Amino acid sequence: MNKAMPQVFSPEHKLSKLIQHNSDLLFMLQHFNIHLPLQDKTIANICAAQNISEKLFITIANLYNNNSLSPVTDLPFTDANTLLLFLKNSHVFYSEELYPKILDTIEAMAKVNTHKEMVLVQKFFIDYFNEVTEHLAYENKIVFPYVLSLLKQIENPKAPNQSNSNYTVSEYKEHHNDIEEKLIDLKNLLIKYLPEQDDQTIRRKLFFKLSKLESDLAIHSNIEDLLLIPLVAKMENYLKDARK
Amino acid sequence: MPVNKPIQILLIEPSLLIAEGLTSLLNKQQMRFQVSTTDNLDNIELQLSKGNWHLLIINPALIQYNPKTMQSLKNRFDKLQCIALVYSYFDERILAKFDETISIYDTQNTIASKLEKLISKQPKESSNNSQEVLSERETDVLKLLATGLSNKEIADKLHISIHTVISHRKNITQKTGIKSVSGLTIYAVVQKIISTESIQL
Repeated sequence: MNKAMPQVFSPEHKLSKLIQHNSDLLFMLQHFNIHLPLQDKTIANICAAQNISEKLFITIANLYNNNSLSPVTDLPFTDANTLLLFLKNSHVFYSEELYPKILDTIEAMAKVNTHKEMVLVQKFFIDYFNEVTEHLAYENKIVFPYVLSLLKQIENPKAPNQSNSNYTVSEYKEHHNDIEEKLIDLKNLLIKYLPEQDDQTIRRKLFFKLSKLESDLAIHSNIEDLLLIPLVAKMENYLKDARK
Repeated sequence: MPVNKPIQILLIEPSLLIAEGLTSLLNKQQMRFQVSTTDNLDNIELQLSKGNWHLLIINPALIQYNPKTMQSLKNRFDKLQCIALVYSYFDERILAKFDETISIYDTQNTIASKLEKLISKQPKESSNNSQEVLSERETDVLKLLATGLSNKEIADKLHISIHTVISHRKNITQKTGIKSVSGLTIYAVVQKIISTESIQL
């Protein structure tokens, strides 16, 4: 990493400069719905324009720079909205952009590499893609609406409690599995074992794509574990106390 | 351990002054310490599972009344070494649970050398020239695994305990870098341990 990289982000930093140092932040911009070009805007400018709290933005940016791995317990409840938007956008990005592109690349590789193992690799990835789709759908359909319903109850305590389920965040914690695992398996197959056949260029391409996806997924699950789950647990406790 | 990798330290200390002070001392070392801090034990297991931590520095006052926390951490993260950070006299029986003790009056060099000593004691990560060839028994397990058998079925078939099957699987994963059954199946085909006909597509 470049030495000039600020250790910790601050609101006065120009976002464009930070991206020069860590291009993975481009993924973060997509998840926040921030479009290029950025001109000379600072983090503070962009957060104000997009209605994102600076603290949340910087916390997530730090995760992209591997600066902090501590649970964040002091986010305000209202940040749940932005957090959900961020996670939903990442889901769309994974399922509509990254995964299909990787699948295309595997198919292209299977055209030049006709070893029988390539057929297994294709099947491996399709099965894995289905698992991931299921995992994302669970979050979209169960977890995120649940968080929104909590937020509604907090903002409007007089409204009747619409969610009559007994769902709690601890159930989500249990449902949480390690979705990067199979990407690591596939990377090892590519670099260690899969027999070659005129495929070095496309094999490299595939490997880089898998690595990018793996690192964004790792940050994604860190955001869920370190930001979302503590925040939702706090919301649950707040509502429990309010009902007393 | 490669020299250029930073040593990840997690510091659990309720006093901000002490925590910041120790962090800045360790950063000054121009060494390879990378310190993260937290002031309580609330999310400690989660946090430890997130990173590749080498050392845990903890104020023993935090665990004085729940010694079980320490034991369960040690069981779960067996590579982790725990250091007590003490302000003053502390019960020897509690300090005995730690791998090392540092005092807030220790000099910078004393602290650094204590930490270095602990680090050098840690088992080296698997070296590059270690054998990655599967043993005969591991190959047997892999064969059955790839044909879709469960751990229990493999244990019955090979007349070994389920515990042994799990330990073979751990070794297979460590040697190949592949964890999932479907990934290992592809590996087994590549290595001609099984043929494509013997697996269900």
